[in-house]
Amino acid sequence: MNHRHHGARLRALPLLAAALFGLAGAAHASDNKIALIPGGPHPYFAPWEQAGKDAAKDFGIAAVDFKVPAEWKLNLQTELVESLVTQGYTAFGIFPGDAVGINSTVEELTANNIPSLALAGCAQDPTKVSFCFGTDVYNSAYLGTKALIEALGGKGKIVHLAGLLVDPNTKLRMDAVEKAASETNGAVTVVQHITDTDAQEAADQKINALLGAQKDEIDGLISTAYIPSVVAAKSLRNLGDKRIKLVGIDDDQIVLDAIKDGFAAGTMAQNPYGQGYVGAYALDLLASGTCTVKADAPFVKTPQTERFIDSGTLLISNANAATYKDDLKKITTEIQTSFKDKYLDCK
Amino acid sequence: MTPSSDSRARPSWLAEQSNLIGLAAIIILFWFLFTSLAPGFVSSFNLFALSRSLAVDIVIGFSTMVVLATGGMNLAIGSIGVCAVMASGYLMQTIGLPIPVAMALALLLGAFLGWLNGFVIVRSGVNSFIITLASASLFLGGMLILSKAQTFNALPPEIAAFGRMRWGGFVSPLLLVALAIGAALVVLFRFTALGREILAAGANPRAAELSGVPVGRAIIIAHTLSGALAASAGLMLVFRLGAAMPSIGQDWLLPSFLAPVLGGTLLAGGFVSVVGTILGALLVTTLRSGLLVMQIGNFWLQLFLGLILLAAVMIDRYRGVYAERRSLGRKTNLGRKESGRRA
Amino acid sequence: MSQNRNLTFGQRFLANEWSALAVAIVIGLVTLATLSSAFLTEFNLYVMLRSFCVVLIVAFAQMLTLAVGQMNLSVGALGGLVAIAVGGMMEKWGFPVPVAILCGLAIGAGGGLINGLLTVRTGINGFIITLATASAFTGINLGITESIPFYNLPASFVAFGTGRISALPYLLLPPVLIAIALAFFLARTVPGRQLLAVGGNPQAAELSGIPRDGVIVMAHTLSGLLAGAAAILAVAQLGSAQPSIGVDWLLMSFAAPIIGGAALAGGHISVAATALAVVLIVIIQNGMVLAKVDPYWVQFLLGALILAAVGLNRLRAVRAGGA
Repeated sequence: MNHRHHGARLRALPLLAAALFGLAGAAHASDNKIALIPGGPHPYFAPWEQAGKDAAKDFGIAAVDFKVPAEWKLNLQTELVESLVTQGYTAFGIFPGDAVGINSTVEELTANNIPSLALAGCAQDPTKVSFCFGTDVYNSAYLGTKALIEALGGKGKIVHLAGLLVDPNTKLRMDAVEKAASETNGAVTVVQHITDTDAQEAADQKINALLGAQKDEIDGLISTAYIPSVVAAKSLRNLGDKRIKLVGIDDDQIVLDAIKDGFAAGTMAQNPYGQGYVGAYALDLLASGTCTVKADAPFVKTPQTERFIDSGTLLISNANAATYKDDLKKITTEIQTSFKDKYLDCK
Repeated sequence: MTPSSDSRARPSWLAEQSNLIGLAAIIILFWFLFTSLAPGFVSSFNLFALSRSLAVDIVIGFSTMVVLATGGMNLAIGSIGVCAVMASGYLMQTIGLPIPVAMALALLLGAFLGWLNGFVIVRSGVNSFIITLASASLFLGGMLILSKAQTFNALPPEIAAFGRMRWGGFVSPLLLVALAIGAALVVLFRFTALGREILAAGANPRAAELSGVPVGRAIIIAHTLSGALAASAGLMLVFRLGAAMPSIGQDWLLPSFLAPVLGGTLLAGGFVSVVGTILGALLVTTLRSGLLVMQIGNFWLQLFLGLILLAAVMIDRYRGVYAERRSLGRKTNLGRKESGRRA
Repeated sequence: MSQNRNLTFGQRFLANEWSALAVAIVIGLVTLATLSSAFLTEFNLYVMLRSFCVVLIVAFAQMLTLAVGQMNLSVGALGGLVAIAVGGMMEKWGFPVPVAILCGLAIGAGGGLINGLLTVRTGINGFIITLATASAFTGINLGITESIPFYNLPASFVAFGTGRISALPYLLLPPVLIAIALAFFLARTVPGRQLLAVGGNPQAAELSGIPRDGVIVMAHTLSGLLAGAAAILAVAQLGSAQPSIGVDWLLMSFAAPIIGGAALAGGHISVAATALAVVLIVIIQNGMVLAKVDPYWVQFLLGALILAAVGLNRLRAVRAGGA
């Protein structure tokens, strides 16, 4: 599938970075072993593997390995982290399997002088991760809903398709969708939040049931999770319905095709490659002990954390479907080149 | 002890000891193996992590064990656990109760939900499997409706501090709590009338009833106890995570059966082994940790756990058959009959 | 038996396996149709029928083990394994669709056979055996796929999963055929009757010369076969072979036969009542989306439904016995 090789397509990026850095990359060669750990198996994280390899090569890091918990469960993730510490890994980039639950593990890492970052999604404050580098879930959901409202011409009834109910981020996304809708002063109403749709079977059942029951009453769908975006795009195509507007998340080929053929208005792109690449770069500097996080770094404040760095998010629509990857690359390069000066104090 | 309980395929004292010794030998073998292949296995970091997850696994195992004693099952322990977890979070964070009071109330809630299971099972006469399958859904749903799946993450800092505490460099106090619970259970089943009643009710309910054991009461008490134990396991995770999360307990089913069954507790009821359950949990925790540390792909872990459970129950079974053959008074097909027809 | 003739129509209706279910379904249909004009639209009917298919076969898979007083906790795990095997054979090895399907069914039946043989040979409770094999099947599934789905399936296969004739999905064909075949098998064939006899009274069955162990192995094998069939259908329905297929089948697989009146002790199952129970569950699920019920209630209602059905069955048994 296309997005699985997303990272491969971005292979030009390290060349660019290497060119920018010249020999600097080789200068801070380190023997750090860095692990990038997603919350569980999910196509979103696939670009991290390549990003890690590229980062290891470009910045001369001993190893940047992509380690996936066998299932999407917090205890499997924490056990994996613990076993990797035992195996001598010196820094961790973690997508929190649970924004709150990961903190006790992170605290233990800190106690053992092992730096960690929250990548792609944040840990809830108070937390000991150095900072969170990822997509601001609240903002992304808010922007996506705004885009949907615009596609609807400013009025209509919308339904929110969300991920796991027990994930605290889901609540944030629900709030963001409500907020964007409430700003229309009642012209746009959120009819329903449908949750627990981030598994293929559940998504297929719930979304089709929704369309079956209410397709004539609803005007728009906002999806804030990967799988419901794919399923909704597929279902609207099966139904042949171009009236209902869909704004999804991430760039699965099925969603991109739906945008091209007019079954979806757009999708919120995230920057997984950049998260893995810049994340590994920052972790290497932190783990080497040469750098610490600046006290007065220009972090963004989000409802989840006070130390957030946006990895970039943008709306893919028909206008930029061909060029959005270049835009993301540009964002990644910009973040990486200015990162040290902006966020770190280095010896 | 009722005379009829002897007619069941209850392991003899000797068979029980040999089971425990066998289990201990396997565990020692694996520790030796993992230590020599992956030196990090016995680092204080790993031992601490291991002792903490072991503590939770032991109590989860106990929670199922006490119900297995009556020949029943409790599929709702994960749901009861998470209800207690969320209740404790609510009481501490929203109401602001002191930690011990909140914990005690959460344990009471767990016990109450367990009691509810037992009460419905006894009153309706419906199999505990079905009742607890349904109540697992009900409890989890009720918890989600009431809590809106909101995590409580502003708990008193003492909670997380206790969860991080290390004794002797690598032992979590939680493990001592688990062992203390184990000691209490040994006393219950060995030395009290109540414990013997529960076992008698599991071994042969009809005979127990005839000899004056209040079988219904015994079953209800076992389920109440199971609920309280499930709540304790949940609360241990609250200490470990420093937060009360609605996702706790969703994957307890396999470990809850692994520990007692590996430890020799009979599904048919009438016999429990507290020490066996502890060793069973230790074996599982050791394997999980060891295979991860040895980098045997964490994706294959589940396969190993399944195969080891299979191997363990089969060894146990054949040892049981061997013991039965040696004991003249028993019919060899009794065990088969029970296993074929679960009542 | 002669007593039955003296019962009023109402009592006889009450004594019937599926009467309460039929009433509940009719009430549900009428309520939803009056409340929402969208309910009886062609597309909504299609959606409901489509979600009916996989669940029905999963329920049958569990029903067959319940028939002999066994359980199969590995239905979902085996289903997941078959799903990714079929997906892998089609995507990686380029097997033609029919060959891949046959291989998938063979894996399902093979898994069931292993369950059955282990259960009768070792004499260990089927609950524990299938709990262990479930873990093993899931382990093989995760080990092979590393949880990454197979997406590129043959177009014809995926088209079957979404195709429909007005409100009737193509997907409905296999479950209907399976239901008819099962009903025939249980009522009219020797092995089918032996299956029920062993479940009803194993001692008596053994005394009358029925090979008890063989029948239990057969029940497990058929259960595995059906789990495989459900998985293949799920792959067609989703259009991709997800390693997560089957993860949440367990509750449903027990709920439907039990709501349909199956007893855990065995010997008492009904194809029609199980099918009606699945219909009821699907209507309730659809109705909850239609009524915009808070998502938090879904879990709760499913549990309540099982309890209600069990309670009703008890009540009916008491009434019918007393009449």
